[in-house]
Amino acid sequence: MKKMSKTRLIVCLAAVLLIYVGAWFAEKSAGTNSMLVTVLKKGAVYALIAVSMNLLNGFTGLFSLGQAGFMLVGAYVYAVFTIPLKRHAAVYQYYNGGIIQFELPLLVALILAGLVAAGLAALVGLPVLRLKSDYLAIATLGFAEIIRAVVQWDSLGPVTNGSNLLKTYPTFSSTKILGSTVLFPFIVSGVCIGLILLIINSTYGRAFKAIRDDEVAAEAMGINLFHHKELAFVISCFFAGIGGALLAMFQGTVQANSFKSAMTYDILLMVVIGGMGSVSGSVIASFLYIACSEWWLRFLDNEQFIGSFQVPLLRSGFRMVVFSIVIMVVVLFFRRGIMGDRELWNLRLPKKKKGKEGLK
Amino acid sequence: MSRNVLRLENITMQFGGVVAINDLSMRIDEGEIVALIGPNGAGKTTAFNCITGVYEPTNGAVYFNDKVIAASHPAGKMKRMYAGSDPEKFAGMHVTMTPDHITRLGIARTFQNIRLFKSQTAFENVLIATHLRRKSNIFTAMFRLNWQEEKRNRERAMELLDIVGLKDMAGEKATSLPYGMQRRLEIARALATEPSLLLLDEPAAGMNPQETLELGAFIQQIKKDFNLTVFVIEHHMDLVMGISDRIYVIEFGKQIAEGTPAEIQNNQAVIDAYLGGNDE
Ligand SMILES: Nc1ncnc2c1ncn2[C@@H]1O[C@H](COP(=O)(O)OP(=O)(O)O)[C@@H](O)[C@H]1O
Ligand SMILES: [Mg+2]
Repeated sequence: MKKMSKTRLIVCLAAVLLIYVGAWFAEKSAGTNSMLVTVLKKGAVYALIAVSMNLLNGFTGLFSLGQAGFMLVGAYVYAVFTIPLKRHAAVYQYYNGGIIQFELPLLVALILAGLVAAGLAALVGLPVLRLKSDYLAIATLGFAEIIRAVVQWDSLGPVTNGSNLLKTYPTFSSTKILGSTVLFPFIVSGVCIGLILLIINSTYGRAFKAIRDDEVAAEAMGINLFHHKELAFVISCFFAGIGGALLAMFQGTVQANSFKSAMTYDILLMVVIGGMGSVSGSVIASFLYIACSEWWLRFLDNEQFIGSFQVPLLRSGFRMVVFSIVIMVVVLFFRRGIMGDRELWNLRLPKKKKGKEGLK
Repeated sequence: MSRNVLRLENITMQFGGVVAINDLSMRIDEGEIVALIGPNGAGKTTAFNCITGVYEPTNGAVYFNDKVIAASHPAGKMKRMYAGSDPEKFAGMHVTMTPDHITRLGIARTFQNIRLFKSQTAFENVLIATHLRRKSNIFTAMFRLNWQEEKRNRERAMELLDIVGLKDMAGEKATSLPYGMQRRLEIARALATEPSLLLLDEPAAGMNPQETLELGAFIQQIKKDFNLTVFVIEHHMDLVMGISDRIYVIEFGKQIAEGTPAEIQNNQAVIDAYLGGNDE
């Protein structure tokens, strides 16, 4: 890994700060209920989830399709442990107020969400990651489907509320910072992505990339494949769990059936569009993707009239058609995505001569 | 007599019915440079793969510093297909180690078909190979509490690049380097794992005569500087005869000769099978 110069690091941190100020300002001027603010919040949540998936798929070369499952775990852990005690009777109305008779502080519940997801990942990875070939995709996909069914299982109702909604837990509106609802998701997501970046640029991150580039050579260089794959998988799922908890906060309600594998494919697309192996790419792609699907392409779903002329094709569902076409074009013709495997902050400044960029 | 470093006992490696190595026994002592030669497809690379844990031999045992690192005997359906000798000799033994474990014990290798980390720079390729000797864990590494180790490893990687003459190429993508340099980068990467035994699989392949000549001197130099024992597969006879203390010759997976370069050059079986016939 190239070491970043001090000035570049300062410029980057200043840029991040500027984005945070911008987000705060956007909410102040556009209003908390504006589409812009919704997109910013959801984008921040998905940015973390996409980066966590990229750590696995893009940086370690492991193909997992279980993201939605681990997000579900995170979302449920967060919701179950933060529903205020006095609301239990109402939420768990079919289960006599539920079995859990305590609530955890919000941040503790967030971290617990990550830890439980990570613990389950460790169990799933244990048998699967020892195998040479790529059974991980199948195993994780299976895990996601199974966990979705298990959570809705009636016997677990006193904890998970069965197939009923979990609600009334703290959301982004209850975590206002400086009178703004966007800052909490931005800060949590930003800190988590920062931690992932620290891992990627550490000696362990280099080992992950070595495994991605050539397993045989990595093993010959003394890198224990199982140990490092398991580590990458557990870390990725830890952050997916926190991402799931943030999504629960964003949505205000949690229901297992919304964590379908289609959600995983959405995230996978963000990773591919942003560039496998680029953290900044995943972040940019997440915001773009959420903005398009929630906002900019919404008009495609509404019938429109110009005078008495009805614009053809525009009707409910057309948005997804256009969306799919855009995605196919990206996958077919821009396979490296927006950033490839480069990072925004490592892009070579124009005019800088090649060869001058030595190693610090 | 100096200490034994590597010992192969009755190694047979079968892929189904294909017998890649047949009852091969060898020993390499400390400080030797030993060459393994033989026609293409003779089983040389397969021998390396059995030593480094990539393959589990069908029969036989491998010792490194008198410690078993691989031992196996024909079992299951291999029992029927087994074509080697003495299937019972290692019946009580079964030892398998993953390649990373064996590398940690002190055996490093290069690959015949260059296997560098494609997306990484020359510097990063070497740096990655210092990972196995780490004292850090994921948390200390993440928060850079291991900065002293990190600094040492970076300096070490740079030193090794300097030693193989690639210091100026440190920031280049490994795969953008010319062939000869990629081979030297693989040697630097292997040295970064701090081995006591170095296995080189056709290190001169694709090099021009000048580079090959330099490579011979270079191998002898690093052997001395790093206290290595070297086991090298090579086709360039000038190189082999120039640097080897002893040579093993195999054909169709079987040893046909063993001896000093002078003995091998005058060995009729070798001349018939290999040296005379095809001039590689
Ligand atoms: N993984 C494998 N599966 C099947 N056959 C193999 C495998 N590896 C090597 N062989 C066979 O073993 C024989 C020896 O190959 P190799 O050791 O690469 O030869 P050399 O390095 O001496 O040129 C060849 O016939 C090759 O086809
Ligand atoms: Mg070979």
